[in-house]
Amino acid sequence: MDPFDAALDLLRRLPPSSTQQNLNGIIALRPDLEEDLLSSVDVALTSKRCTKTGRDFLCCDYNRDDSSYRSPWSNEFEPPIEAEAAADLIPGGRIRRMEESLNAGVDVYRELYYEGGISSAYLWALEEGFAGVVLFKKTSSAGGSAGKGGWDSIHVLEVSEAAGKRSAHYKLTSTVILDLGLSSSTVDSLELAGNLTRQTESDLGLTHSGSRESDIEQSHVVNIGRMVEDMETRMRNLLQEVYFGKAKDVVGDLRSIQPLSEVGRERDAHKEVISKMGR
Amino acid sequence: MASKSATVSSFVQSAPPGELSNVVEDIKALAPDEVRSLEPAFKKYNEEQYSTVKLPGSSEAVLISAYNTLNGGRYFDSISQKSFETASNAQSHTPDTRHADIVRSLLKSFSAAATEHFPSSRFGVFPTDSDSSIAILLVANKYSPQNFWNGRWRSTYLLDPTNNSVTGTIKVDVHYYEDGNVRMSTNKKVEMSGSSPDEIVREIAKAENKFQEALNRAFSTLAEGSFKGLRRQLPVTRQRVEWEKIAGYRLGQDIGGGRSK
Repeated sequence: MDPFDAALDLLRRLPPSSTQQNLNGIIALRPDLEEDLLSSVDVALTSKRCTKTGRDFLCCDYNRDDSSYRSPWSNEFEPPIEAEAAADLIPGGRIRRMEESLNAGVDVYRELYYEGGISSAYLWALEEGFAGVVLFKKTSSAGGSAGKGGWDSIHVLEVSEAAGKRSAHYKLTSTVILDLGLSSSTVDSLELAGNLTRQTESDLGLTHSGSRESDIEQSHVVNIGRMVEDMETRMRNLLQEVYFGKAKDVVGDLRSIQPLSEVGRERDAHKEVISKMGR
Repeated sequence: MASKSATVSSFVQSAPPGELSNVVEDIKALAPDEVRSLEPAFKKYNEEQYSTVKLPGSSEAVLISAYNTLNGGRYFDSISQKSFETASNAQSHTPDTRHADIVRSLLKSFSAAATEHFPSSRFGVFPTDSDSSIAILLVANKYSPQNFWNGRWRSTYLLDPTNNSVTGTIKVDVHYYEDGNVRMSTNKKVEMSGSSPDEIVREIAKAENKFQEALNRAFSTLAEGSFKGLRRQLPVTRQRVEWEKIAGYRLGQDIGGGRSK
């Protein structure tokens, strides 16, 4: 087996709550895999306060240079980096305009769906088209028997515009990291932790009134926003199904509260009733 | 930084139910030299997870734990009265215990009770090596790798025959891994007492039912509480976001108030 595939497989089997430690352990075993693993494995997001604007922003590999992170609000690295590196890494022009708009848009989206939390979006130019990441982080901490939770979404997108710029192709890979837990007198501890990843692609139109560049930029923000919203809603439902449906069902498959002999008798009685109805 | 062998051992210890062989395959691809050092990790895993072993000439499997170990890496089985070295070299073995009668009664009562609640399980009753208590252990597994999930229930009870008190823990571990990695783990300490093997077995079933009911309620508590508190299904307006409207906004405009938390 290819070592990189083995590393990804291992991280999919070991407890998701210790992904960071296990990632460090695997890198210690195979330092040659470090770069690839750090850019392909999703871990819970950290945040920083933007000193210029006083707003929080989320940190990931895509807005990082060494140990500095770029704030989407001020468009500056904190702590500051060398001017030469900054020239390469700080977006301007079209990319920065779309990035600003996207951040403003997802900020509203965040308030409506998360009623709190932090959001950030980062875009960068590709040879053809552009790419980006949209991030959300929210925690809820009533704690104790009411439980605690953490949600992190990481949406990675790739956009390529069609030749006439009437439409564009969008590829979205989304991961949601969801950690829930509680401890009470009747259940010493219940931990439900994990992540799910889904992908989608679509071709969407770009408004073209008088071929104003700003209309196209706005269309991208609208298209990206909608795709992220659709995907998050889908994934929230999927997570609910897996965490509270599937996990609960498996426990019921392992042990039945109702004595199995009773279950068997009920099922036979039920079958009899059904067969009598058929006559 | 932990040593390489400590790292791979920790991978083995935290392997999900039914997937130890997958984890070992991954370790082989990442650090083939470290695989040799895993024997102690396997032993610990088998004893903690109550791995089961089929003895030759027997139709029932017997479980391995810290409670039925003998010297020299061997284990004993109270039902077949044998000692063995993980399925090989089985020899006749009668545990040296004052509580042989209790062990036999418990085996009988527990056998009936286990089938009432567990579609598939293995259990064992063992006098512990100081002969001051009797261990009652049960493991139930459900493996469905083709559907990307596996689960394990482990019950551990220690009976003090001098005062009929029982303390125990229940542990459940579920792994779901279709395009992701989701792990549920829960545990509960329980206490009860019973003056006869039948009563003890009844009290155990009651405690397990109580726990399972509480667990089902806990799932709902998390679903209705913490989960809902993270991200709504729809905004308060009951409408999806009007992206056309907000796409033209620039930063600095005061839109929805925007908390910083």
